[in-house]
Amino acid sequence: MRDEDVIVLEEPQLSAAERLYLPQILDGVKTTLRHTFSVKNRKQVVRQYPEDTRQGRGELRLANYRGVHRLNKDPDGRVACVACFMCSTACPAHCIHIEAGESPWPDREKYPVKFDIDELRCIYCGMCEEACPVDAIELTPNYELVGLTRAEMIFDKEKLLQVYEETKDVKPRKNPPVTDYGLTGGQSKDVAQPNVERKV
Amino acid sequence: MPKIIIDGQEIECRPGIPVLQAALEAGMDIPHYCYHPGLKIVASCRLCLMEMKMPHPKTKEMAWAPKLFPSCQTPAKDGMEVRFDSDAVRANVRHVMEYYLLNHPLDCPVCDKAGECYLQDYTEDHGSAASRMVDEKQKNPKKDIGPQTLLYSDRCVLCSRCVRFCDEISGTSELRVINRGSRGEIDVFPGRPLDNALQGNVVELCPVGALLDKEFLFRQRVWTLKTTKSISPVDSRGQSIYIDYNEEGIHRIRPRFNEKVNEWWISDEARFGWKHVHRDDRLNQPRVRGSDGLVPQRWEELPEFLRKRLADAAKQVSDSVAVVLSPMMSCEEAWLLAKAVRDVAPQAVLFHGFVPVVGEDRTFPKGFVVKAEKCPNRRGIETICEHLGGNTANWGDFLGMASSGKIKAAYVVGGYPNEWLTSEAVAAIGQVEFLVVQDLFPTALTEHAAVEIPSVSWTEREGMFMNCDGLLQEFERALNPLEGTKADGQFFFELAGNVGLFRAKKVREEMAAALPVFADVFIPQELPEHAH
Repeated sequence: MRDEDVIVLEEPQLSAAERLYLPQILDGVKTTLRHTFSVKNRKQVVRQYPEDTRQGRGELRLANYRGVHRLNKDPDGRVACVACFMCSTACPAHCIHIEAGESPWPDREKYPVKFDIDELRCIYCGMCEEACPVDAIELTPNYELVGLTRAEMIFDKEKLLQVYEETKDVKPRKNPPVTDYGLTGGQSKDVAQPNVERKV
Repeated sequence: MPKIIIDGQEIECRPGIPVLQAALEAGMDIPHYCYHPGLKIVASCRLCLMEMKMPHPKTKEMAWAPKLFPSCQTPAKDGMEVRFDSDAVRANVRHVMEYYLLNHPLDCPVCDKAGECYLQDYTEDHGSAASRMVDEKQKNPKKDIGPQTLLYSDRCVLCSRCVRFCDEISGTSELRVINRGSRGEIDVFPGRPLDNALQGNVVELCPVGALLDKEFLFRQRVWTLKTTKSISPVDSRGQSIYIDYNEEGIHRIRPRFNEKVNEWWISDEARFGWKHVHRDDRLNQPRVRGSDGLVPQRWEELPEFLRKRLADAAKQVSDSVAVVLSPMMSCEEAWLLAKAVRDVAPQAVLFHGFVPVVGEDRTFPKGFVVKAEKCPNRRGIETICEHLGGNTANWGDFLGMASSGKIKAAYVVGGYPNEWLTSEAVAAIGQVEFLVVQDLFPTALTEHAAVEIPSVSWTEREGMFMNCDGLLQEFERALNPLEGTKADGQFFFELAGNVGLFRAKKVREEMAAALPVFADVFIPQELPEHAH
């Protein structure tokens, strides 16, 4: 570096009034006092969670909130997952562990024997949900995720199916929009011919 | 060497090969299903069609012929001009791909071939996103065609590679195409399942997910696997393989092209010959005999202890120290161990280890051989012993000398995947006063051993094997050594008085300087994706 590249900046000189610092202090105290004596503000600042949750304008938009995962069930009550490993492939946190096996049902090839999600490792990005070809894994609006040990925060298949039972009324399962194996041509309904009825 | 022009580019190719093969060897990715360089040509998939310049029937001028020719069936002739990069060829590929996908179930998410499937790759490159098929898809059943293999007929593209493989390579002809036209499917004869010593190859041969290995079925998706180049230790030919593994361990073994040994195929023995690596009863700590039996010993103290004890034994009677070099060891390991022991006991006798032989050599119609000798490195051990000279002898001599009590101290290396000791051998070796045993599993020698050292499987080591024809081939490490163990090479490296990390390449340089044979390592040509 050359000398001429260096720009020397002088500190601005404070006036006598500024050096007192009183105007600035009073300015800050004014804001504090405003909040202290405003009844409306005082009531809104403190909220008695969990008895009192956010309502009205500040309420969570549940439809797209990314909370705890669930594993959806198909109309027959079986786990909808086909154990394709797409979610664990897409997962940037490597928190999904699947063990696949031959399914006991004749209309399906594969199903998850084990399906574990480490909810502590998860970053709730929702990539698993996007990757799933049969919309079996979804994130729910349930954000109250607590546990006392690390082990209980690893959700297994049963627990994830239970989350589905708990949240299906709040957020019903979407129909598989992209890959529907019953559909002719294996394409989405926009692409394939509409003369075959979709199985739901 | 004929020169042909493909897409305006002049290519020199081997004489007598098809244009498709010439194009593939030149690095072009021409779609094809039925063509395989190791099998007869049927030209049935119609994907590799090309345009060719021919003399016009009237004017005799060279012009592009109006119809397309299968490039797999057209031999490359000097001066011929063909093209793949044209509208007609592209239209053909697009239509043929659409035709293949008419009845394909598109169940890639649950298909084990996804990720290495030619149909998937070609559809991505040449196919269309939408199907115009309005009728119901034809659903063919899943068939259990053999003890190791499943056939998903609705994924099949009827390339008939598997049929030709069973006809030509294994010579057992179990598979056939039954029915014709759109109802055609692959099947076995009633009561004759696909069951031969090479049958696993049909799984890799299948360009789609129709033939799948029961062992690997649903285990892993292929993109989660890492791959290492290796040599199969199951027989003395040293078949080239890929080991596919991840942090959970090995998941499968695939053939690796090797023009001098196994070409595109491997035997089922090699394919399934990795189960012992994950056996629960592997030795996992070195133990030394104290007053109350074998007690665990730290690895760091072993080299010094062994050197001292072997030197003591050599001081009493100079040629009473024996080293048994197992043919399961790599050349580097055998070299280091022999050197290390000769260093402290210069008159030590080097013995060739036990060579397991099962049945007879089996030769298949096109020359694939499954050897009866079930160890990878007998020739390598013999070469090393011969070079190091001094006292050398074979396994039978070792048993004889041991039972007569002439051997006071012995370092016996095993490493065989199966039980290898006969009761006579155990009785004979039991006579040795100071016995060091290095093996994968607990054996009958454990109760006679003064020191027991765990060995690791070939997947956890690196080195080279010399096959039964004297071909030197290298293999790489796939897994880390089992917890508590140390790679054999690393231990011998330390036993030989070295400090630091054992690297097979370094030792190889040293060996090559002493013995030029070891400089000549054969590395097979690596084939690009879709090359066969």
